[in-house]
Amino acid sequence: MSKISVVSAVVAVSALMSSIDCAQAASKCVKGEHKPPFSLGWANIYSVPTWMKQTTDTITQEVDQLKSQGLVSKLMITDAQGNANTQIQQIQSMIDAKVDAILIDAGSATALNRVIADACGKGIAVLNFDSLVDTDELTAKIDTDQLEWGQAAADWMVKQIGGKGKIIVMNGPAGISVSDDRRKGAESVLKAHPDVTVLAETNTEYNVAPAQEAMTNLLFANSDIDGVLALGGSLSAGAVLAMDKQGRALVPMTGENYRQFLELWKDKGLKGWATMQPNWLGALAAYTAVQALQGKDVPAFVKVPLPVIDDASLASYIDRAKDFPSDGYIYSRYDQAMFAKLLAQK
Amino acid sequence: MTSASAAGPRRSLYWSVQARRNRGIRGLAVVVAGFLALYAALFPGLLTLAGFAKFSQTWFPLALTGMAQAMLMLAGGISLSMGATVSLGAVVAASVMAGSLGVAGGIAAVVATGLLVGAATGFIAVRLRLPAIIVTLAGSFIVGGAALLVLPRPGGSVPPWLSDLLAGSTPTAFALLVVVMLLWKLYAATPLGLSLYAAGENPVGAHRSGVPVEAALICAYAISGTLAALAGLFVAAQTGSGDPVIGQAFTLNSIAAAVLGGVGFLGGQGTMRGAVMGSLLLTAMINVMFFLGLPPVAQYIAQGLIIVGAVALPQVAERLRRPRKRRST
Repeated sequence: MSKISVVSAVVAVSALMSSIDCAQAASKCVKGEHKPPFSLGWANIYSVPTWMKQTTDTITQEVDQLKSQGLVSKLMITDAQGNANTQIQQIQSMIDAKVDAILIDAGSATALNRVIADACGKGIAVLNFDSLVDTDELTAKIDTDQLEWGQAAADWMVKQIGGKGKIIVMNGPAGISVSDDRRKGAESVLKAHPDVTVLAETNTEYNVAPAQEAMTNLLFANSDIDGVLALGGSLSAGAVLAMDKQGRALVPMTGENYRQFLELWKDKGLKGWATMQPNWLGALAAYTAVQALQGKDVPAFVKVPLPVIDDASLASYIDRAKDFPSDGYIYSRYDQAMFAKLLAQK
Repeated sequence: MTSASAAGPRRSLYWSVQARRNRGIRGLAVVVAGFLALYAALFPGLLTLAGFAKFSQTWFPLALTGMAQAMLMLAGGISLSMGATVSLGAVVAASVMAGSLGVAGGIAAVVATGLLVGAATGFIAVRLRLPAIIVTLAGSFIVGGAALLVLPRPGGSVPPWLSDLLAGSTPTAFALLVVVMLLWKLYAATPLGLSLYAAGENPVGAHRSGVPVEAALICAYAISGTLAALAGLFVAAQTGSGDPVIGQAFTLNSIAAAVLGGVGFLGGQGTMRGAVMGSLLLTAMINVMFFLGLPPVAQYIAQGLIIVGAVALPQVAERLRRPRKRRST
């Protein structure tokens, strides 16, 4: 009996050890010596847009926390100024500088593939978020689902107008994958509700002014509108301003966590719904990199559920508005516990 | 003795001309050497074969487009469609090589595309006597649109062996650059090449002396287009695929490289080696700033200061030299 217990103990221990082994080899790319504190590189494609500035802020804040936990030693930030070739060059420099992990918001779906594979082959953890590459030679990709974005917005709209009515659809620029994917997601819902008529669609930059102008023109042509399905935050801000200027009654409207839209939503008391591409995807990428470097198994694709803002939760966002730039995005709260939960999901 | 004295002045004339042409880029050479030394000190891996190979791959497409731009600017022209032509070269390479025509077909298609785009641009600008800046601005939309027609979204592929050959861990790109520069030396010695400078500096005078000005210009545009398309092919190999907007930044950067290298906007002024050196500075600068650990905002400022400094240095040096000369004579 004692023999059996010894054997079982040995089996248990070896099983435990092999499971540790397994966990250590689990995350893709992470190989060789990686000891905390780690050095991280953040290969930004373009630092100027407000969304990007806020995203970089979430990364530096997360890194500050990881530094205080003794997990990160330094963060190198580059700005490719919108040029994918420069981004390749800067990622190459990060490889040369022997960083432990590289965070990437890609300037091209294909151009970074080879340099990313190089980094992965050298044992560096590569985390890609927001704008994704089409290679799988990396540790993990982190993003929300744009199809779901469009679908959820359209679902809410159809429910608001009782399954029938006339709506206007506002899109971002044609030919941009984010814009196309959101529209595609909405289409699946609109098709299932033939009583919902699309009066007209707009395609503009994700800016208030062109959206307002496009909406103003449509308002002259359409006296009877039941809802505005805007598939981007600043678009809905433009729509509200256009309707308000003409003294039109505000109809149910979808949008994003763009600060101006949320404030108009509250001030005008309209029926609204919004979601977001959370800026903290960057912070999550930094957190995930450190998890992978510590030998934890991180999923190859971390699908981040879309945070939803509705009439009930609007106040909790508006209350924090002063902490965000006036042309910025009020993102939902996040912390490491939430990140841990996102990484644990399968 | 007679042969020595005959060769003597001829050689000294050649070298004195070269020395005078080099004067403008001496300051730049010092700055570039300084940056490379600093880069090597910050990143000793640069001095390994693989490290040098990677760096020269980053440099190569800008060197090529810098030369393509310098060629036009020497002839009194300019191209705002440089970036679009790089993009078109990249998507043509990636889509043809992915098909049944293979690598040879891809290279042929890229060269043909570049020649055609360049020659057409040159023909319109030169024969119709339209300003190059307008023709190539319009051309950038046409060529950029064509690139989007070939590949609406990033895709296509370049065989991995070609990628590894051109952009692996051997300095093939550097060797190619040396070959291209030698070819330029040869071209510059031909009547058409010589006409290029003449046509750029004084087109009317050149024409009256029997220089084939129009032919020289159209040839320059055709060669320039080919170089840009080949830079696109290289980018496709480097990235393993084609992206229809990958080249955009090359328009301004190629002009910056040429101007940094002392190539003037008015034609006939400057040297090809200057343009290549300018492209080297622009490339090395980004890596040096990274290894110095400058934050992005500081990088914008540093970049501007370096460019202004590199352009101003020869001017300042020239001014310092002149009064001293006057005093001595």
